Amino acid sequence: MSLNTKAIAKNAYFISKHRGRVTARVRVPGGHLEARHLEIIKEIAERCGNGTVHLTARQAFAIPGIPAEKIPEVRKLLAPYIREAEVGMGVNLPDPEGGFPVPLPPNVLACIGSRDCVFGNIDTAELAQKIERTFYPGSTLLKIGVAGCANDCAKVHMQDVGIIGMVEPLYDPARCIGCEACVKNCRRAASGALRAENYKVARDDLRCLGCGECVLKCPTGAWSRGAKYYRLVIGGRTGRKHPRAARTFLEWAGEEAVIQVIANILAYIEKHRDKTLPKEHLGYIIDRTGYGVFKQEVLAGVNLGPRAKVAKYINFGGYAYDKGVQLT
Amino acid sequence: MNANPYLPVKVKVLEVGKQTENVATLKIESQGLNPAPGQFVEVSIPKVGECPVSISDFGSDFLELTVRKVGRVTGALNALRAGDSLFVRGPYGNGFPLENFDRRHVVMVLGGIGLAPVKGIINRYYLNGGVNRLDLLVGFRTPQEIIFRAELARWREKFNVVVAVEQDDPGWPGRVGLVSDLVKEISVEREAAAVVVGPPLMIKAAAEELSGRGVAKENIWVSLERRMSCGIGKCGHCRINDRYVCLDGPVFNYRQAEGLVD
Amino acid sequence: MGYLFSADAFNSLLAELKTRYKIFAPKIYRGKGRTAGTDLVAYGEAGELAEIAFDRKTAFSPKEIIFPVNQTMFYFTKEEFQENLPPKEDKDMIIFLRACDINGIERMDAILLQNGPYRDVYYEKLRGKARFFLIACDQSWESCFCVSTGSNRTENYSVYVREENGQVFCLVKDRDFEEIFSKYGRPADVEPRFIEENKIRVRLPEEIDQRVFGHKLWEEYAARCSACGRCTVCCPTCTCFTIQDIFYRDNPDCGERRRVWASCLIDGFTDMAAGVSFRAGYGERLRFRAMHKAADFKKRFGLFMCVGCGRCDDACPEYISFSKCLNRLSEIMGEVGQR
Repeated sequence: MSLNTKAIAKNAYFISKHRGRVTARVRVPGGHLEARHLEIIKEIAERCGNGTVHLTARQAFAIPGIPAEKIPEVRKLLAPYIREAEVGMGVNLPDPEGGFPVPLPPNVLACIGSRDCVFGNIDTAELAQKIERTFYPGSTLLKIGVAGCANDCAKVHMQDVGIIGMVEPLYDPARCIGCEACVKNCRRAASGALRAENYKVARDDLRCLGCGECVLKCPTGAWSRGAKYYRLVIGGRTGRKHPRAARTFLEWAGEEAVIQVIANILAYIEKHRDKTLPKEHLGYIIDRTGYGVFKQEVLAGVNLGPRAKVAKYINFGGYAYDKGVQLT
Repeated sequence: MNANPYLPVKVKVLEVGKQTENVATLKIESQGLNPAPGQFVEVSIPKVGECPVSISDFGSDFLELTVRKVGRVTGALNALRAGDSLFVRGPYGNGFPLENFDRRHVVMVLGGIGLAPVKGIINRYYLNGGVNRLDLLVGFRTPQEIIFRAELARWREKFNVVVAVEQDDPGWPGRVGLVSDLVKEISVEREAAAVVVGPPLMIKAAAEELSGRGVAKENIWVSLERRMSCGIGKCGHCRINDRYVCLDGPVFNYRQAEGLVD
Repeated sequence: MGYLFSADAFNSLLAELKTRYKIFAPKIYRGKGRTAGTDLVAYGEAGELAEIAFDRKTAFSPKEIIFPVNQTMFYFTKEEFQENLPPKEDKDMIIFLRACDINGIERMDAILLQNGPYRDVYYEKLRGKARFFLIACDQSWESCFCVSTGSNRTENYSVYVREENGQVFCLVKDRDFEEIFSKYGRPADVEPRFIEENKIRVRLPEEIDQRVFGHKLWEEYAARCSACGRCTVCCPTCTCFTIQDIFYRDNPDCGERRRVWASCLIDGFTDMAAGVSFRAGYGERLRFRAMHKAADFKKRFGLFMCVGCGRCDDACPEYISFSKCLNRLSEIMGEVGQR
């Protein structure tokens, strides 16, 4: 059997352990799709694959058991999906019939966000799609996740860049009955940013996560929603070498700042990455250049807005399987 | 009535008596407040707060308030000295219907600070008579918490006074146990009347015991304690069923009070 | 007299009314809902027809206009009390509100003006400034049951207002408004219409007695209720409050005494000395509230307290429905009655 595995992989198929079989990867931008598109997945799995579908941890479909010779048929079946779900939302893919071009950066993953979730402060899928529209297709590896609130159900702390929706809670003491539902909840379930004072509530801006829980708990509407903001966490990763959670880089940043920072991060990666490796996660590059260089290059020309806060330094924790990672 | 019912009058503290570490008796100017036994006043210290306090005694030109330190306001009241001033409004509520006690055998079952609202009545019976017989059954948690010690000693000259404490203490020569149990030990005369003041569970136990001993529920009077904020039937804190403790009480006939369920 | 207004004419009317009155109406506050991307419908000052949300139900009742959430009763300088009654010279108020809410204010009157020998002067002053503009209900919402409670109708209003396709029909009952309405409106036949049917029908319990106190219904509610107090905050008939004193942090010699809404559902409502409190369980608290609305208030004032606006149903995060609770109380009384 003769297969050009590199060419196949560049079309978003995995070479599976089963000889001659490949697994098609179908991205779902923002993790949210039209139910009718499931028909396409179903048809590919049943006609070309082994009749099963796997949900990947990155919110994509993996359709296993496809004989390599059926790739052209899969492409044909997949074309309407690429046209509607990718090109339709603005990703510049000139040849939907040709399948996914690779390198195509990983899916921007997202929790369900404010479309459905009580806690969601932002429309996560919309932001994920905006990021894809702005930066895809591209060749730089950058794993991005979007969480609607600080609960981080999307696990964006394991991404190169995690975006967490925030809301500024506005307080109207004239509507406050001093029930302390917000104070108790913030202490138990968030960051203890609220305290009772003179039967009213005082908020510690430095502790506040912008999670919006106080707005949800308030029976009278004394707490209400102010502007939307974003927290950016950077440098999270799994992997064989040195897994660790991301740390906060920016807080209370505006949406445009987030997009500008991502553009700068992509340039930073291209400038500093180890070109001897096929790809390298952001965190390793920051480890090499130092946070100072990262911060300087990534914030260049960015208008963060008046409320934004930037981490002075970052002490990444995590652990390495091989101590040599840090010592060589 | 057009005046602001929430506006208190300023009165001077004439005398302060320390009952226990946490209970003080304040003798204050009456400023025209003309109470009946068993009524209460709203007492306040500006910027600290306001709270209901039962009137433990009164004369033509003074009121006596007995206050236990349990919170901010009562703490501040306990810190007052003669010559200081405080603010009061009232008196509020229905007091004890003394006419029902005339020439009768009266049993009083009182728990802790519950002695305060009837102290003045007992004193009057001590000085002027008016009842055929008075049994005073008074309970405290510990000997250290006994209030009106001098009065209790004096009342013994004329009445049957039994003091019990809940927690035994070396050096306490008296009774140990629940005050409601003392009811079992007294004889009850025909047409006897009773007064019960204290915490909710004590009231229920004592009133039921009295009723079991043959005191008609119509002849038992209880004084209920609730967290009154306004004292005038507006704030809702003291409502039980369709009754407002501040307006319809704090003194209730037990026939009615037993039907009030929180 | 009845009048018909074009949108422009009605706006001119509002503009002139505004010189003499503060006008309050249901308004839509964009993005101010509890969850992201949702709106809040609530009372606020309005000056134009387009601002008035005739076709929406407010999350909070209009009671807050005449009975503010926080009201300073006295200011303290050192030890002196300075009364803070609403000033006489303040403008009177026009409130656009529905029949259920007018009925609700009558229940507030019972407690704050009639209960006991004193009138609540703070409420009385603001209440005296209020003129009711009755909004016609052309639909009954999912949770409404005003017909069952008899509060779908009212005669207690100055002007009846019905908005229809950008035109406004008014019936003026209060002579004080006749002249200004005749200045901007065209005479028209206007008959007040009231909602005559709701989707929810409630069988009001005829007589509730304490036999329901031990019913397992309250255990079920105890497991569901989270004691957040939203049902009481939004209720047009809840009037409980707490009086609080504070001193100013940067000037401890001065301070104020204020009254703040309180709720029998929220912790601390009955806290007394030495840790004594009543109704610790959430089921008991719901029972206390339900008994007030359905029986205790009526015993005292002769009026069924709940006005069937259904706001508590809409507000409850645990989906506890008060109309359902009333129906169940009726059933339970039927059962215990037979026994």
